[in-house]
Amino acid sequence: MIKKKRSKAEVIDSVVTHSVLIVVSFIFLFPVIWLILSSFSKSGSIYDLSGFFPKSYSLKSYKDLFFDTTMYDYPNWLKNTLFVAVCSAILGTILVILTAYVMSKFTFTMRKPLMKTTLVLSMFPSFMGMTAVYLLMVNFGLINKLWSLILIYSAGAPMGYLVQKGYFDTISNSIYEAAKIDGASNGKIFLKVTIPLSKPIIVYTMLTQFAWPWSDFILPSLLLKNKDLWTVAVGLMNLDETKFTRFAAGSIFIGIPIIILYFCLSRFLVQGLSSGAVKE
Amino acid sequence: MVLINNVKTIMNSSFKAKISLAVMGLGQILYGQIIKGLLYLSSLVAVFLYMAFKGVTDIKGFITLGTVEADPWLGEAGDDSVMMMLRGILCFVILIIFILIYISNINDMAEIVVRDKKGLPLRGFKEAVRVFCDKKFHKIALAPPIIGVVIFNVLPIVFMILIAFTNYGGNIVPPKLVDWIGFGNFKKILVLGELKSTFFKILSWNIIWAALATAVNYFGGLALALLLNKKCVRGRVFWRAFPILAYALPGFITLLAFKFMFSYGGPVNYYIKLFGGSAVGFLDIDAGIKAKIIGLAINAWISIPSSMLLATGILSNMNEDLYEAASIDGATKWKQFIKITLPFVVFSTTPVIITSFVGNFNNFGIFYFLRGGLYNDGYFLASDTDLLINWLYNMSIDNNYYGIGAAISLIIFVITSILSLSIYVRSAAFKKEDTFR
Repeated sequence: MIKKKRSKAEVIDSVVTHSVLIVVSFIFLFPVIWLILSSFSKSGSIYDLSGFFPKSYSLKSYKDLFFDTTMYDYPNWLKNTLFVAVCSAILGTILVILTAYVMSKFTFTMRKPLMKTTLVLSMFPSFMGMTAVYLLMVNFGLINKLWSLILIYSAGAPMGYLVQKGYFDTISNSIYEAAKIDGASNGKIFLKVTIPLSKPIIVYTMLTQFAWPWSDFILPSLLLKNKDLWTVAVGLMNLDETKFTRFAAGSIFIGIPIIILYFCLSRFLVQGLSSGAVKE
Repeated sequence: MVLINNVKTIMNSSFKAKISLAVMGLGQILYGQIIKGLLYLSSLVAVFLYMAFKGVTDIKGFITLGTVEADPWLGEAGDDSVMMMLRGILCFVILIIFILIYISNINDMAEIVVRDKKGLPLRGFKEAVRVFCDKKFHKIALAPPIIGVVIFNVLPIVFMILIAFTNYGGNIVPPKLVDWIGFGNFKKILVLGELKSTFFKILSWNIIWAALATAVNYFGGLALALLLNKKCVRGRVFWRAFPILAYALPGFITLLAFKFMFSYGGPVNYYIKLFGGSAVGFLDIDAGIKAKIIGLAINAWISIPSSMLLATGILSNMNEDLYEAASIDGATKWKQFIKITLPFVVFSTTPVIITSFVGNFNNFGIFYFLRGGLYNDGYFLASDTDLLINWLYNMSIDNNYYGIGAAISLIIFVITSILSLSIYVRSAAFKKEDTFR
């Protein structure tokens, strides 16, 4: 085999490309590194850091995060967040899968009108609903309750059923026809045929339904006025510059799991983002 | 229509069937379907009792929004306008549910009549439930999601639309009486008063912001995807990991971290001081254009990764032969990009550009975290970087101007829906939805 010698222009092109890539990657990586470094700083205030770097390193911020809980009760925030996120993930996934499956595999008169209605509903600024939800919750005395958050998150989930519907659309109808000829009822078909076939999309739905409450800040900051009920997002928002390294430690601790999740799911992410865009 | 045919079927049959048009459930009982008939009959009775004792007053209250103002001196309780409005909405919901039950009663009766004529045995209650669960599986499966969406999405939106036409908010909150004022709030925002100048200032900045942010994110993502797609790049997965890292970090952490970075004690000001400058208030009340540029840059940092992922997906669908043909014809790399890549990518992502424009138009987080709670001179409860959605938040949550806040959100809805609905409905993905099922 003859090894083709690369021309000078190609070498320059490659060098330029890679140096641009290094710069871009650095821009994306840098704030994260800064947070990680700061979280290991010995003193807590942002004023005590020399620029981007701590003067001396220790694990104090993490220790404070979990044990100095009189003012800022991070373990409790974490517990609340986990509770809300897990419950909403389970409830929301059930609702989304049911909606997507029915919308994909059944024909009934209300199908198109329902699809159009969800389209119009999704056009209202999500925030507009939230002020109203806030007013409603205040008037019915449902403020300061974790389960009211769970209800709102999971009840809103079916609005985003399109990705899941796209998945069910790709499952061949012949399986369902065969099951029907065998005399299986619709409920049985859903449990015995659909659920086993849709494991990947269930996992994907669960994780997105989990990630949303895990990193949402608007609803909790509206509805949770009681300090004991704060989620991590609300709690971290209340840390000021003198508690900066504690903020950094808390952010890293809550950010790492979600980053790992996204890396495991990056295959699905592209599909989810481009669904509806690249069809046709 | 099925319903009209069913009514005809019933009208052409015996008196036993016809009576269920007037008294829901009685027909079923006369045909021997006792449990089903009793269920229909009892829901009829329940709705009648509700309307007689509560419903009528609730609807009256919905129209007047209360007539007796609370008087603490006399210890008089008075009317709570907001609760009266909510009860009125509830009453309308109950009436709609009643109409749905009535329709199902007609359909059920018609089926009984048909089966009776053909001499088929009527189904027992248990059998009927079993058949319903199977044949109408879609109804049962969709019931929980629809109930949830109605309570937590539709109801708040209806409530908000109604609020927009009242003077609720400011000084006028219960126990004071709220009144319907028609288009008063919209007039205040669009035609007269100090709100008008604030609204148009914010609107023009909002449009500029949405256009700039969408363009920066879109072309930034495309450029990054093209860069990563170059043949000479080694270790694509490795390079792609960094933008995904930025994408995965929860938004509030990113925004708060950047706020700290540009704060007075933050690292940026540390280096400015180190080199002899004086600290700059990047996000201060008088920051002006600096804050806007920082906001745009941070938004790009957050959003470029997702548009890069999207562009990568689309580029992988491209036909390589086109490029070969073009380079044989002697087209330069730049010309290939302008004539082949760009039209293809833009064409296949038009819906995404629109959703991203709407998303940026309503981008609440950026300026809420960077400059929340700041009010500039010449603005009514807003700062010069606030978008309409931030103004809405300031008005309705921080300062209790609920009526005006609701009117603003309706205006936002009209703007964004006109933009996106026209494109969505025309888009191939929606029109040809059936062909992909």
